[in-house]
Amino acid sequence: MKKIIEYVRLYFRLVGAGVRAQMQYRFAFVMRIVGMVAAYTGTAVTMWVMLYQFEELGEWNFYELLFLFALAVLSWGFCIILFFHFRSLDTYIVNGTFDRFLVRPINPFFHFMAMKFDIGAAGQFIFSIFVFIWVSNALDIHWQLGKILFLFGAVIGGVLVQGGLLVFISAIAFWTTKSERFYWVVMYPARNLTNYPLAIYPKMVQWVTAFVIPFGFVNYFPAAVLLNKETPYFPSYIGYFTPLVGIVFFIVAYYVWMLGLSRYKSAGS
Amino acid sequence: MDSVKMYIAFTKKAFMRSAAYRFDVWTRLVSNIIFLLMWMSIWYALYMDKDEASGISLTAMLTYVAVSQFLTAVNGAGTPLWELQEKVRTGDIALELMRPFDVPLRYLFADFGSVAFYMLTALVPLYVFLFFFVDLTLPTSWVTWMLFLVSGFLGFLIRYCIELIFGLFTFWLIETGGIEDIFYFSVSLLSGSVIPLWFFPEWLQTFAEYLPFQGIYFIPNAIFIEEITGNELVVSLGIQLFWVAVSYAILRFVWRKASNKVVVQGG
Repeated sequence: MKKIIEYVRLYFRLVGAGVRAQMQYRFAFVMRIVGMVAAYTGTAVTMWVMLYQFEELGEWNFYELLFLFALAVLSWGFCIILFFHFRSLDTYIVNGTFDRFLVRPINPFFHFMAMKFDIGAAGQFIFSIFVFIWVSNALDIHWQLGKILFLFGAVIGGVLVQGGLLVFISAIAFWTTKSERFYWVVMYPARNLTNYPLAIYPKMVQWVTAFVIPFGFVNYFPAAVLLNKETPYFPSYIGYFTPLVGIVFFIVAYYVWMLGLSRYKSAGS
Repeated sequence: MDSVKMYIAFTKKAFMRSAAYRFDVWTRLVSNIIFLLMWMSIWYALYMDKDEASGISLTAMLTYVAVSQFLTAVNGAGTPLWELQEKVRTGDIALELMRPFDVPLRYLFADFGSVAFYMLTALVPLYVFLFFFVDLTLPTSWVTWMLFLVSGFLGFLIRYCIELIFGLFTFWLIETGGIEDIFYFSVSLLSGSVIPLWFFPEWLQTFAEYLPFQGIYFIPNAIFIEEITGNELVVSLGIQLFWVAVSYAILRFVWRKASNKVVVQGG
């Protein structure tokens, strides 16, 4: 227990320095947040145009679709803060700068995680909270305690699923010295895929996103519970497993990363 | 004549360079397949139990999406914009300005090479396979095929010019973060790359018709599924030609300004 408190304190010490550094470039910081909000608004506008004539996508209307999207964006925001830099582990390995994470008396995984704290994620929070308020009004969602707790659990689960995948992708770099590329090829398209209800995809794809790369738990399954939507092929209570799936997936990812680390050899420049 | 030879040498070099980075080609293909799957599923679900919407059949619409993803892949195969922006930021662009070639043309011809490699080794096989196994429609006459190719090529030129003009603004702005996102969003929506213009709200459709972006994806796609025929076809190609000319002129103007600025700043 004492050790955990020690690590939490250390985490904030380490990222505090990073945050201060980022705040030195205030204009760039503001522009990044504006850009993030603009990009997400762009996807929302595309959804609106898409449903202008068709009204429903797989029985989800515009507001429900927006809610689904915003839930993914919210947990992605936390993911950016905690894990987004894991994708570029390959650069550290190739340049030989990864070695410095190994010579300090703390867990290398933790040290690498605490290296960066991207405050640009404020854009994700601004967008998703705005959408939540808007959609809650439009769909008349009442946020009782139960729902709030469920949302809380869903976000934690979503962060762990997406963070776990980022950790997996970064672990590939220990074996192949490539990771960033895999992010753009696998995870970026997969994240786009889950902006829409999984029910519209072929059964195979749904199955993979539920049990192999559990992206369905980031937004689709929990949103279906919160909005009372049907999830064909899956029981309607599947969304309740989100935190559990997140924890299990992340633990597996962590051990794969540590396994990769144990066979890591420095680039030796 | 010599200068044509020189530019073609850039095309050949880029072709060979792509061949050396085959891993890149494969990974790009994987993400293209995922987006193809995504948009075809979305349109399939939007039609639900309708056979047609606004006079467009489901088969025609799925074909539209497939062709659009094909063109998206083609348009994305060249030198990425950030690579040029990086050259501006680090000042490496100065080295290129000193050499006896025209930088915008040099990169255009290099793009032809990378696109050719990507098409031959990955895209054409994939899409032949797709059209063979999925119920999609092909143009009924060879004239449509020819016009589609011409239109797709004009679209490529429009996109190239517009993107480079936008990229050149990095000469004036150090931080393009936010503007860049808005730019890419506008292009993807208003070009009809994922939603054809005829499904837009009327005011937005009118707006999009006055912009060059529809020439990148919407016009070639619509030609392919034979939604644009007869007189309208001539007009559409005319519109594309017009935008190629305009965007090229603007590119030349911005380029001259930008390269002067480099000289003034001393690189």
